Amino acid sequence: MTADLSRWTFWVAIAAYVAAIGLYVAFLRSRAPRTGRLASVVAWGGAGAHLASIVLRGVSAGRGPWGNMFEYSSLLSLLIVVAYLVFVEVRMGIRTIGAFVVGFAVLTMGLASMALYTYPAPLPPALNSYWREIHVISIITASSLLTLGGIFSILYLFKERKERRLAQAERADAAELAARDAAPILGGSGDLDATDPPDYAPGADEPAVAVAGRRKGLLPASETLDRLAYRTIAIAFPIWTWAVIAGAIWAERAWGRYWGWDPKETWAFITWVLFAGYLHARATAGWKGRRAAYLGVAGFVSLLITYYAVNLFIVGLHSYAGV
Amino acid sequence: MADRPRAPVRLRASLALAWRTLRSMRTALILLLVLALAAVAGSLVPQAGFPGAAAEIERLHRDHPFRADLFQRLGLFDVYGSWWFTLIYTLLLISLAACLFPRTRALLRNVLARPVLVREVDGFRHYAERPLTGEPDAALSRARRVLRRRRFRVRGPEDATIAAEKGLLREIGSLAFHWSFFLLLIGVIYGRGTGFTGTAVIAEGETWAEVHAGYDGSAREGRFFNEDHSGLLVHVRDFEVRYRDDLSPEEFTTRADLAHPDGTSIGPVDIRVNHPANALGVKLYQAGYGWAPVVRVERDGEPIADAPLITVQPPAAEDEDPRTLPWRGILRLPSLRPQMAIVFELYPDGLAALASLQGGEPLPMVENRNPFLTFDAYRGDLPETAAFALDSLDTSGMEKVSSGLVGEGRTEELAPGVTLAFPELREYTVLQVSRDRGLGIMLAAGILILLGLLPALYDSRRRLWVRAERSGEGTMLKVGGFALQRRDQFEEEFARVVDDLAGVDR
Ligand code: HEM
Repeated sequence: MTADLSRWTFWVAIAAYVAAIGLYVAFLRSRAPRTGRLASVVAWGGAGAHLASIVLRGVSAGRGPWGNMFEYSSLLSLLIVVAYLVFVEVRMGIRTIGAFVVGFAVLTMGLASMALYTYPAPLPPALNSYWREIHVISIITASSLLTLGGIFSILYLFKERKERRLAQAERADAAELAARDAAPILGGSGDLDATDPPDYAPGADEPAVAVAGRRKGLLPASETLDRLAYRTIAIAFPIWTWAVIAGAIWAERAWGRYWGWDPKETWAFITWVLFAGYLHARATAGWKGRRAAYLGVAGFVSLLITYYAVNLFIVGLHSYAGV
Repeated sequence: MADRPRAPVRLRASLALAWRTLRSMRTALILLLVLALAAVAGSLVPQAGFPGAAAEIERLHRDHPFRADLFQRLGLFDVYGSWWFTLIYTLLLISLAACLFPRTRALLRNVLARPVLVREVDGFRHYAERPLTGEPDAALSRARRVLRRRRFRVRGPEDATIAAEKGLLREIGSLAFHWSFFLLLIGVIYGRGTGFTGTAVIAEGETWAEVHAGYDGSAREGRFFNEDHSGLLVHVRDFEVRYRDDLSPEEFTTRADLAHPDGTSIGPVDIRVNHPANALGVKLYQAGYGWAPVVRVERDGEPIADAPLITVQPPAAEDEDPRTLPWRGILRLPSLRPQMAIVFELYPDGLAALASLQGGEPLPMVENRNPFLTFDAYRGDLPETAAFALDSLDTSGMEKVSSGLVGEGRTEELAPGVTLAFPELREYTVLQVSRDRGLGIMLAAGILILLGLLPALYDSRRRLWVRAERSGEGTMLKVGGFALQRRDQFEEEFARVVDDLAGVDR
């Protein structure tokens, strides 16, 4: 009964998210603040239904709703949407990337319900540990932020390329450049939601490329995307670190070894190393910007492999075949 | 060639170059990526010693001999133990140390030194002026108070200037974080080196001793382990599996009494998955279980064997439920002349077994209900093998003398004068036993890694200078400053500090 209700609210959430994506896209084209606000409201509504679905699932299974692949995916996509709504929309007043973020969440949910759905059921004994709860919740929280970081890095790479092209074009046509400079620079309001003043006013020393890019294109300036990516990854990295440590503590209690290079552990480590690489790259001359973003994307891909490929194609202790 | 540098000079130059290269952030970055790449290889190629890997490696050798041979030569079947994996992380650690020494020295200098005073404050990235009423000295002592309250390290006023800085914690945290990897490594090496891990197979009612012989060669011992086994005695009273309605296991519990080597009791424990027992420095983990039928063999009324026999489940085919299969066990009787061996198949749930026979559909046998054993008795020369398998026997030098079935509580005749009895069915538990004295060190390293990471990522170094100059009747307050990280946030903080210094309420 609750299981059916959970399934039903899950589909309501997907429907709301799809509607929100449509509105976000409409907002990208029209820049009408009302469309943007409506998109957010619908997305929040979807998140509410999504939350209800997850809670009902937990009630139905008689345990925390983070016990198998379907449940991880559902919780992950909820956290991605909520983290985006809170950090990017409310805190920073940026609404122009909603379609990408919510789109990713819907994709995850759709795949999860088609390929990974299982009826709510209790867990085998090895999973029955509060360290597991801590580990899983931290991993999912960190993953949602790392996913946002990955999406921002991908968008950054697109935008940065576009800005470089644009800068080239402008250099080639100096006369047009002069004409454009006569018009007042709008301080980024072309991209940032006009109703909520942006946190980041463009600094005096902002590179000319970024300023040029702001006047064209749908996405926030590459610099903003870069900063967004860094912020989310910097928050996620310690959480991921903690989650891996908690996983090692759990493994020590459950199997008597804290680290065994089992595929899931190995990929969690690879993801961690790649994001550590990202953080270093951002502090290394010559690696800032594009190369750092490539590392962020690599970390994101590695995260997806950690989550999905390992369970579906490579199995280890974490597949929990038995004790 | 006359001015060619002498060898020691050249050597020193190359070493210096190597050190400089290792110190560079780019090298560290590349080494991190190479480490990730090596781990990718380790997760894709089956690793020797992992569950199920042996069969996969064998299959690879059979189907793709060239590739398998190549993998073998490259050490890809044992990535984490290979020389090149060791080389990568050793280089990374050397690079890390090379980075950390100068940074640590600079930090110490920084902590010991007081903030630097400057005369010109208007050349910094952030700069503000505020006209104030009152004397410059009053403005400066107020500035000192304000900055102290905002947790800046303050120097001055000297020469009408105050220097202040904040955010050393960032560097301290970053260094603690990076150094902790050495601590982690020490914990791993110490724990692995002085520890061991092995499995104990104990039937209900039996007592097992934590000594070298107790492991039947299954123990993996560290390089510096000096056979100081604990001698812990483990008497298993009872083992229980609790099943859910769908016959999936819910809980495994071993109830045991622990005792010192001399027999003085330590106390009873319940060992469950995720709840290991801990005594005399070793940990006992619930790792597995199975059936142990007590079998008694007598010749002319004199017992030759009378003990629980460990049986194991043969591997199931893909489409088979392993729980429907009988368990196999072998009893070897080397003291008989001629020698004998009995191969058993155990049906722990006789009712389910019968129902399977009648219905055709194999049913899982998880409960102890009317169990029975089928047996094949062989006579001849037992094969001479050092380690004998639990579930297979080479009968080439033997002949079968009888076979049959014996139910619980029954006795059958194996050969003239030799009887086989099956008085009861017990369970056995498999415990993993290990000792790792490095866990405490590693936990400390883990905590330091986390605690160091937070300020390393979120704190920022920033510096301020305040100068008060007489200006007409009042004072002109000049404030300059900059941040090394999180610059966009500093802009706001700077404005607030300036307001605070000027006594403006926000
Ligand atoms: C064991 C592998 C390593 C890991 C996991 C790692 C991880 C990290 C992380 C997460 C940060 C960001 C925190 C911060 O900004 O302080 C960082 C920063 C830093 N790391 Fe590493 N690191 C490693 C090795 C190295 C090595 C070998 C070097 C020397 C070349 C190095 C030099 C630095 C420096 C200088 C920073 C500060 C960057 C800044 O101020 O933003 N790290 N490291």
